[in-house]
Amino acid sequence: MLSAEQRAALEAYYGLDKPPIQQYFVWLGDALQGNFGFSIRHGSAVLPLIIEHFPITLELAFMAIVIALGIGIPIGILSAIRHNSLIDLFGRMFSMLGLAVPNFLLGTLIIYVLSVYFGILPNSGNYTSFSEDPWLNIQQLIFPAITMGFSFSASVMRMTRSAMLEVMNEDYVRTARSKGLRESVVIRRHALRNALIPVVTLIGVEFGYLLGGAFITEQIFSLPGIGRLAVNAISQREYALVQGVTLFIAINFVIVNLAVDLIYAAIDPRISYASHE
Amino acid sequence: MSRSLRTGLFLLVMLGLLSIALPMSAQDNTLIMARAVDATGLDPHTQTAFVSLAALSMIYEPLVTTDNDLNLIPALATGWSFSEDGLKLTMNLRQGVTFHDGSDFTAEDVIASFTRLLNPDVASAAATNYASITSMEAPDDYTVVFNLSQPDVPLLAAMASTNAVILSSDVIANEDPALVTIGTGPFKLAEWTPEEKMVLAANEDWWGDGPYVDGIEVRIIPDEASILAALRAGTIDFAYLNDPLVATLLVDDANVTLHRTPVLSYNVLQLRAAVEPLDKLEVRQAISCAINRQEIVDSAALGEGRVTGPLTMASFALPTDDLFCYEQDVAKAQELMAAAGMETGFTLPVMVANAEPPTATAIAQVIQAQLDAINITVEIESLELNTYVDRWLAGDFSAAVALNGGRTDPYTMYARYWQYDARFQNVAGYIDDSLDSLMKQGQVETDPAARYEIFAQLQRELAEKAPWVWLYAPYTYTAHQSYVSGWEPTANDSLYFLYAAQINR
Amino acid sequence: MPAMNKAVSLNQPMKPLERGPLREFLRNFRHNLSGMVGVILVGLFVLISVAGILKITPFPILEQHPLDRLKAPGEIPAYILGTDQFGRDVASNLMKGGANSLQVATLSVLMATLAGTFVGAIAGYLGGNPDTILMRLMDILFAFPSLLLALLIVTIRGPGLENTILAIAIVYTPIFARVARGPVLSLKETEFVTAARCIGAPETRILLRHVLPNMLAPLIVQVSLALSWALITEAGLSFLGLGTQPPEPSWGLMLSSNRGLAEIAPWLIMYPGLAIMLGVLGFNLLGDGLRDVLDPRMRGRR
Repeated sequence: MLSAEQRAALEAYYGLDKPPIQQYFVWLGDALQGNFGFSIRHGSAVLPLIIEHFPITLELAFMAIVIALGIGIPIGILSAIRHNSLIDLFGRMFSMLGLAVPNFLLGTLIIYVLSVYFGILPNSGNYTSFSEDPWLNIQQLIFPAITMGFSFSASVMRMTRSAMLEVMNEDYVRTARSKGLRESVVIRRHALRNALIPVVTLIGVEFGYLLGGAFITEQIFSLPGIGRLAVNAISQREYALVQGVTLFIAINFVIVNLAVDLIYAAIDPRISYASHE
Repeated sequence: MSRSLRTGLFLLVMLGLLSIALPMSAQDNTLIMARAVDATGLDPHTQTAFVSLAALSMIYEPLVTTDNDLNLIPALATGWSFSEDGLKLTMNLRQGVTFHDGSDFTAEDVIASFTRLLNPDVASAAATNYASITSMEAPDDYTVVFNLSQPDVPLLAAMASTNAVILSSDVIANEDPALVTIGTGPFKLAEWTPEEKMVLAANEDWWGDGPYVDGIEVRIIPDEASILAALRAGTIDFAYLNDPLVATLLVDDANVTLHRTPVLSYNVLQLRAAVEPLDKLEVRQAISCAINRQEIVDSAALGEGRVTGPLTMASFALPTDDLFCYEQDVAKAQELMAAAGMETGFTLPVMVANAEPPTATAIAQVIQAQLDAINITVEIESLELNTYVDRWLAGDFSAAVALNGGRTDPYTMYARYWQYDARFQNVAGYIDDSLDSLMKQGQVETDPAARYEIFAQLQRELAEKAPWVWLYAPYTYTAHQSYVSGWEPTANDSLYFLYAAQINR
Repeated sequence: MPAMNKAVSLNQPMKPLERGPLREFLRNFRHNLSGMVGVILVGLFVLISVAGILKITPFPILEQHPLDRLKAPGEIPAYILGTDQFGRDVASNLMKGGANSLQVATLSVLMATLAGTFVGAIAGYLGGNPDTILMRLMDILFAFPSLLLALLIVTIRGPGLENTILAIAIVYTPIFARVARGPVLSLKETEFVTAARCIGAPETRILLRHVLPNMLAPLIVQVSLALSWALITEAGLSFLGLGTQPPEPSWGLMLSSNRGLAEIAPWLIMYPGLAIMLGVLGFNLLGDGLRDVLDPRMRGRR
């Protein structure tokens, strides 16, 4: 293997001969300058690797959110309007199911059904970026996005439903009704807008998580995103890469939460930054 | 309106980020191949993982190689001859061969490559096989003479290995072969994104006929069930499968051709006699007797495999009936445990790699159930491949379920394990004078009948001393769409012959 | 309206879950459909798991029957849910797998509850700088996707049952810290706490006797929901090969290791999948039911 001399030379090169605390500050100093270290396995610096893998995760998160909202909000509204009806019951059952199906189970089922019964598999390790071929790109990402969006749609549905129910009892909705406005107008103009405020918070939190990478979904559908990068880095003990990805994910989460606060302020007239503590 | 403006801006930024493009290349005549595990590194002289060697076999070439029937055929050497006394091997090199960087292939490269292989600092995987080479000389640019310390019959077979490929002398002198991949083979490395894909371009200047495809794109799809799905969906052309449970599902598929190839590699339960209580002969023998090998094949591989002794090549393999305890005998195993004073049993940690081969964890579970009968509690340690290989190389384990490579020649197959000072002696964990001497006799003996007898004896001794418990030889599976032709699989897991593959959609 | 209810519940908080309220709770709960379905599912889960732990299974756990490989459910009547590639009884494996999952889930949630409640209560009670520091720490933990955090912990400490428990416990600690901090913050300024302090009761006693009981309702709800997440996380970790190690059965592991066999033996992934779903569903429904009953503000709206 390595001679003692070679080992010492290598340790000095990578700075491993210094005390851990000094190593940490060297790493931190480098990280602040955008230098997250080097991945030996990939033969590349960590930051470009992360940047290269991020768009897929970002797009996937976007599509998952769109799917979740597209399913969750209408069902949530319907459930709330037809409170305690058959529709409501089905809606609630759907949301319960959605929360109970882990995405690795759903992903496995989707791949199984698609390939065995329909003979199609939209993605086989050949991710095509959006700018290259938008249509193909969406085809490739739609099933992973459904996998990720499904359980989220359930929480969106629950949140929408309970927020709607609460709002519908508020004075201003009753006032709107008593003015003789049509029910659809009341719901659209008055109830929905206020009911969506908590949903936005939920989206924010969830978006932050989705950007952290869909570890299992990316693994099952072999998509080269941040999640798969992280899982591989972890299992191969690529510490520089693990540190880089972790920090990146945490920063993402903070940025997204900041963005949510901004949007929150934008749609809720009651919140302004002056009064926000 | 600043609110909607802000929301709009946010969305715009996100969309902008979306359009960051990834470079992608796919031509119609590119063979799209998939496998579950990626190469662990690119230095052909030091790699031991099958996946790495299979990938490198398309890029680099050895002096000689083997055909489908495991006969030696010329590669970078066109002819070879031993001197009368067997102490000189003269090789005539192919002329007009160029490396991927355009430089000419000459005797200098051969000498540089073998010098590197024999350099202890390089820690070459197969160095032991070439230990008889004392010096090399080049009478001219296209002739190399290997001077040997003793007659070495298996040397030629040993050279037919991806571990003995020829690197450019420039690269050896000035670069790190683990990072700079320049070979003479039918394909050139164009791009490697570890754990995602490796793109190979056809080498237009290759000396042989072919390749007929523009390139090969090796995609890593971490799950063989997904590879199967991709084959059925027609999104990949070619697949390399290890999992018999998955591969056998393709048998009846009209659009996919499945090749099932018996290979020389073998599944084995490696015991390290250096570790207590495996240092006791009776304990190792008890383990061997307690194991029902056919049941392992039936459970772990659904019957896809052949029970084997230490040697897997047909020309040398003894019938398994001749070997110690190849019929499960629990009573005898219990007696042996008692004789060793271990009737109360012990705990045996067994390490396995979690995906390579896919059957490893299942093998370990069957062994666990079988050894329970003699009070041995097997603790399965499931490791990621890289970690597993590191610990395997360091000999840092008590027992391991391993899939080890076979060779056409018995000496080449085991030179690195069963000799004093062998490269992987520490991994083997056991050695004695008798094994060492049998190996050394087998290396120099030129009479085929006498050689057969030497290795028959080696097999009997290995089975009886049970340093390892040999289990079964698996099959490997290559599958491709019916529009792919020209591919013939070989028993040594090489993908070299993909140069003959064609796509006729 | 919510504010009013809060005030009501704060006026008589001395012994909130005594006999009277407990009886009322049970009466209310019995009429809560989702809660009752949850109780039944969770009860079944616990029953199966206890049987698994006590080894009251149709076949000895992990016993291999080499001649009965890959039998479909009912093909041999003794194997109700069929057998796997080793000829192991799927039903027995599921029972032990359930026990393992339940063990991981309960122990990790218990640890998270204790640690989180402690941190949250201390932070809320002390206020000021300690509060800020503790809660920022919790926020940092919270900023990681739970699976990534669990993965990191398992990577550092190695896979296995104990580390899975530890990982999940750490992941869910911040949630409990948040749940606990809120009530403490609002309670510590209330009359009865001030009164207790005036009598000269020691701070720890105030926390334990007066503040803690008032956090019980939200905590119970949270525990039930956290159990369902813990189940999912455990299954996910095992699915990635980093949780429960073979041959020890686990639902997530059964699902992932049998994916290759899904086509010839669909029951091998169907039942573990179903088991995970029902287990998670049970704890979710139970949590919902508990919230409906315990949190008057939510009553009748779910």
